[in-house]
Amino acid sequence: MSTIRARDLAKTYRISEKQPGLAGTLRHLVNRRHREVVAVDRISFTIEPGEIVGFLGPNGAGKTTTLKMLTGLIHPSAGELEVAGYQPWRRQAAFLRQITLVMGNRQQLIWDLPALDSLRVNAAVYGIDEPEARRRIGELAEMLELGPELQRPLRKLSLGQRMKTELLAALLHRPAVLFLDEPTLGLDVNAQARVRDFLADYNRRTGATVLLTSHDMGDITALCPRVLLIHQGQLFHDGSLAALTQRLAPCRQVRLELEHLHPAEAFAGFGTLEAHQGHQVRLLVPRAQLTERVAALLERFAVVDLEVSDPPIEELIGGLFRQRAAAAAAGAEP
Amino acid sequence: MRPPLIRDIRRYARSLRCFWGTSLAAELEYPLNAAIELVSVLGNLAGSLFVLQLLFAGGPSLGGWSWSGALVVLGLYTLLDGFTTCLLQPNLSRIVNHVQTGTLDYVLLKPIDSQFWLSARTVSPWGLPAMAAGLGLIGWALAQAGPGAAAGLRSPGAVLLALALLLAALVILYSLWFVLAALSIWFVKVWNATEVLRYTLVAGRYPISAYPPALRLLFTFVLPVAFLTTVPAEALLGRGSALWAVGSLVVALLCLAGSRLLWRFAQRFYTSASS
Amino acid sequence: MRRAWRVARALLGSQYALMLEYRAEIALWALSGVLPLIMLGVWSGSGAGAAAGLTPQQLSHYFLAAFVVRQFTVVWLIHVFEEDALQGRLSPLLLQPLSPLWRYLASHFSEQATRVPFVVLMLVVVGLAAPGVLWWPSAGALLLGALAILAAFLLRFLLQVIVTTLCFWSERAAALDRLLLIPYLFLSGLVAPLDTFPPAVRRLALATPFPWMVDFPARLLAGEPVNAALGFGAIAAWCLVLLPMAHLLWRAGLRRYSAMGA
Repeated sequence: MSTIRARDLAKTYRISEKQPGLAGTLRHLVNRRHREVVAVDRISFTIEPGEIVGFLGPNGAGKTTTLKMLTGLIHPSAGELEVAGYQPWRRQAAFLRQITLVMGNRQQLIWDLPALDSLRVNAAVYGIDEPEARRRIGELAEMLELGPELQRPLRKLSLGQRMKTELLAALLHRPAVLFLDEPTLGLDVNAQARVRDFLADYNRRTGATVLLTSHDMGDITALCPRVLLIHQGQLFHDGSLAALTQRLAPCRQVRLELEHLHPAEAFAGFGTLEAHQGHQVRLLVPRAQLTERVAALLERFAVVDLEVSDPPIEELIGGLFRQRAAAAAAGAEP
Repeated sequence: MRPPLIRDIRRYARSLRCFWGTSLAAELEYPLNAAIELVSVLGNLAGSLFVLQLLFAGGPSLGGWSWSGALVVLGLYTLLDGFTTCLLQPNLSRIVNHVQTGTLDYVLLKPIDSQFWLSARTVSPWGLPAMAAGLGLIGWALAQAGPGAAAGLRSPGAVLLALALLLAALVILYSLWFVLAALSIWFVKVWNATEVLRYTLVAGRYPISAYPPALRLLFTFVLPVAFLTTVPAEALLGRGSALWAVGSLVVALLCLAGSRLLWRFAQRFYTSASS
Repeated sequence: MRRAWRVARALLGSQYALMLEYRAEIALWALSGVLPLIMLGVWSGSGAGAAAGLTPQQLSHYFLAAFVVRQFTVVWLIHVFEEDALQGRLSPLLLQPLSPLWRYLASHFSEQATRVPFVVLMLVVVGLAAPGVLWWPSAGALLLGALAILAAFLLRFLLQVIVTTLCFWSERAAALDRLLLIPYLFLSGLVAPLDTFPPAVRRLALATPFPWMVDFPARLLAGEPVNAALGFGAIAAWCLVLLPMAHLLWRAGLRRYSAMGA
């Protein structure tokens, strides 16, 4: 049986429109105007037990809304949804014990208290008895490489340590499904890597299903064999990460800082010129020809600095959808 | 295997112990607060007694209440004020923060009643001096009121009634606070509505009959101040009337049910409107 | 001088626009100032006013005036200051070539301006609920009363500046402010007219700054016979005592703040 089953899941918000100022408020009282905004537009997918699935999409694509529907924080406007055998929006206690939600930008632990105190509260709320709770805390603390930090007030911990204690608190009740919204937000490279390792390890050990969103492609690359890409509320891609990268990033980005100024035409033949501002130049180069093109660039120009990277996922997705829109427009013409 | 209901009750009881244990530990890090609270309680009490004495300068009674009767009302007010500082203020004024920072999501995802969590998550010991002072004042005033009042309280039934009315007062006070605090789900900007409540409830320092008729109606039917201090005080003085007692219990139940309903409605709004 | 005028206009203008955004909160703060009206209810029901030689009309005029005075002398400096310091907004303010206190003062004036319609609305409600209690003060009383309210506000602001500077040293300065609120509440005339005090307590109260903050402006507004020169003199004297203190404490506090590298 699938852990998550979503069919034609949709969420439409009714947004009331109000003119600014007092007059606008008064007019709004008399004559309310509403506008429907489609945040999630009939998406369908299933996730099997033990899968780690990455949830991608630019800001405002509907990622968070979907995540909130899956956890039961938002009532879907239409469609069918089942998580761990329950309908999430009813938020039955038995369902809530099966899941957990971690948001990288919001804390559930108490700022002024040592994490252990907050953990004891969670243990009581989830009905885990003391010895069992101690055992689980010990186990998770070991996996997360947390020790005396748990006895220090939360405010005295580093961002990475805080995130790890948040994870510990979120996993104390051994949830079968983990929802992680930007779990590595703001963490430095080391802490990020440790959180990723832990999540992979946890998934291996417990067989828990993990669904995570991230802006950081690194998280997704390291953890998720499967990704769901959402754009403008629609499911655009459901499949392996390799297939997605192939589809989205056939090119790599080459960023150059040049000694001298050159006109835009000078870069023709090296790749697609993305940005050209004074001494700074950004080019998109097909993966297969990367080495020869870079070599040619170095030969042709006096290069002060050079950097090769994958274009940001948002730009890729944006570019892709611009292409699709252009193709659709072209197809419509006779 | 214990039946689920008992298990749930035990779980809630253990959660409550944990909630209060952790918050007391945090609060006791500031011992200076104890001194400040004590001075503040004593100062407020002295001031209130002074004003009450001024009000009694015109005659032996205030709205038909003797000096010691009015003291019982003042004692009840002080007690409720302490209760507010202990439980209502620290918990309910935080709802708006949960809404603003989005941590309400975490509360809603706990397998425990969210109204229970929001209302009982922390406790502040700094209302205890006021509660103690209120109880002391009530005891002293009852002793002053003489044998008549004491005789009224001698039967277990009368004591029980007085306690029930006091409980009703606590429930009404809680519900008023909760309703106003929960409004911040819709209107984040009215986060300070509970302050208005706190300042308006000052009216409960004096017996309800001390006010002009229009205000008396207001304080009975709109903002039920009468049920907070005057009605329990009458029961304590052994002259509780059945009508007021029943009225008070009914109002308490209605308020509690109202707060519960509003919260369910608020949750539905929150889960369908937030993004 | 012209620079001061320009700065004042710019500050007041921007702060007023800001306060308009907070009008819902301000309406509620205005509503939370009902204490004098509640006290009017209690006093009019007791014989204590008459015993002190006050007619019912005098009593109602006094408390309504006290209500207005209280509305326009509310000071919340310490709370915004604490918040600003905590959120790290204070440091950029301190970099500007203008003491943040002027900015806070301007925002207090703007808040009072925003309050005006709500206070008028509340008075209208009172007038409808109890016809005949409202009255129109004479032009002289109105002018002197408004001046006295302004003076009382400045005195309260100054007093709170002193408590606020203690924020530089202690996290509990706001608690101290709450303690100061107790004598203010009972000795200022907010809950009982000073005329009803026993003579000894009255003399004691008059030796503190508190009665000049409510009782004096309220009685001016209510048209009671008041020694206006004495009242304004007392406020000026208290300001002269508090001003150097506030100045020294503020400078010492800033030195401490910068020494801590915050």
